[in-house]
Amino acid sequence: MAGEWVKVGPEGEVAEGEMNSFGAGDRMVAIANVEGDLHAFDDTCTHQGCSLAEGELDGTTVECPCHGSQFDVTTGEVIGGPATESVDVFQLRVEGGEVQVLVNEQ
Amino acid sequence: MTTFVIVGAGEGGGTAAGSLRDAGYDGEVVLIGEEPMPPYERPPLSKEYLRGESDHHLVRPPGWYGENNVDARFGVRAERVDVSAREVELGDGSRVGFDQLVIATGSRNRRVPLPGLELPGVHDLRFAPDADAIRSSAKNAAKAVLVGMGFIGAEVASSLRQLGLDVTVVEFAGTPLERVLGPQLGGAIEALHRDHGVEMIFHDGAERFEGDGRFEALVTKEGRRIEGEMAVVGIGVQPVTEVAEKSDVPTDNGIPVDATLRTSVDGIWAIGDVARHDHPVFGSIRVEHFDNALKMGEHVAKNMLGANEVFDDAHWFWSDQYDTEIQMSGFATEWDQTVIRGDVDERRFAAFLLKDGRLLSTFSMNWKHDVRRSMPLIVAGVRPDPALLSDPEVDLRKLKPPSD
Repeated sequence: MAGEWVKVGPEGEVAEGEMNSFGAGDRMVAIANVEGDLHAFDDTCTHQGCSLAEGELDGTTVECPCHGSQFDVTTGEVIGGPATESVDVFQLRVEGGEVQVLVNEQ
Repeated sequence: MTTFVIVGAGEGGGTAAGSLRDAGYDGEVVLIGEEPMPPYERPPLSKEYLRGESDHHLVRPPGWYGENNVDARFGVRAERVDVSAREVELGDGSRVGFDQLVIATGSRNRRVPLPGLELPGVHDLRFAPDADAIRSSAKNAAKAVLVGMGFIGAEVASSLRQLGLDVTVVEFAGTPLERVLGPQLGGAIEALHRDHGVEMIFHDGAERFEGDGRFEALVTKEGRRIEGEMAVVGIGVQPVTEVAEKSDVPTDNGIPVDATLRTSVDGIWAIGDVARHDHPVFGSIRVEHFDNALKMGEHVAKNMLGANEVFDDAHWFWSDQYDTEIQMSGFATEWDQTVIRGDVDERRFAAFLLKDGRLLSTFSMNWKHDVRRSMPLIVAGVRPDPALLSDPEVDLRKLKPPSD
């Protein structure tokens, strides 16, 4: 099955240097605005399931608010523990002022 | 082929092994731990694991060690290091040679030889089996008596209340965590527990544990007799230094290491609770928190591979109690000013601890963002305007001085 583009919210809803989380299908997706570029990744920390969008964004690094795991928002890779598994990242596009992410890609 | 040996398979040792492989090191890695389990996280032992809400969180999956060619020797104790032969002697009589060695032996609970300490139903909490024993006792108990109200005591009190037990705590100081937090913030912890029905007795301590074959009551130094079906003692920890002491690796309240985590013996490093670290901002400190063991484990791996970087982490930890998220960053043993952002009575606040105007530490209840955001300020030695610190509208990230 090919992926599907899912609307997550209007463009401009995530300010520069900030993050928000959105429902996209059956998962929560976090959107980070890094110097005007939007990046979409799984909002759920692979360590113990906290919302990454409630954490801190420093450059392209998101830090989990619960236990401090760090991920690269552009690749999903772990930068620092305690998490050891990367988070999924999603393709993102803006169509007609709407931010869309590609989920359920096989 | 070089061999890196790690003595101690807790959070620090397990993370060091993982980080060496993550960094692409393809020499030998030997990880030696006295506990039979692979490295696991200890923070849940007083929280969700104690309440039966979660299983153990392992530092790496059980199969990771074999898949990554790490020679994992769990359930065996390292006895000493032969520094001149560059070998570790194990409890089973075997010897393991090393090119570089990490000592990550952690800490153990402080024990005061009190009568009755050996009674069934009297617990302390450090290792996974301790948590299992407390869980088991709690199933048949209506009331628990706790000795000590540091972080472990406070978290165990919280978990046992959530399991429906009555809890009475006896604490030497005048508030919970008074030594770490001072009376004002310690008072906020006290209020949290009082509001959740914990009975707290301050300025008193344990004299003896009584019971006919099983714990029945604690008798205090002030002569109180507090009955219950179980007791948990949490009165602090001490570093596990025996391996170093038998090994010509100097010890002095832990194992002294320089800013890069090196001991004074060439090729030997120490990390985690056992390491007394020469921190570039805080001076010589020994830190007994999960995140420190984790970060030092990541850091020592880099330095073993030649990075030679100073460890200048701001230090940070969390403590979940009831529905309150507590976080703290920095390091302060004394301070002359406490600036509050938010509302202490509503348990939504950050407290900034300053000395001579300089920000040393940030404590929070349900206000964790500013703990994180203050960490660069702490490391940079910033003297922030207290009016800006107390104003929730001020973004702490903007107070950071421009780097370089």
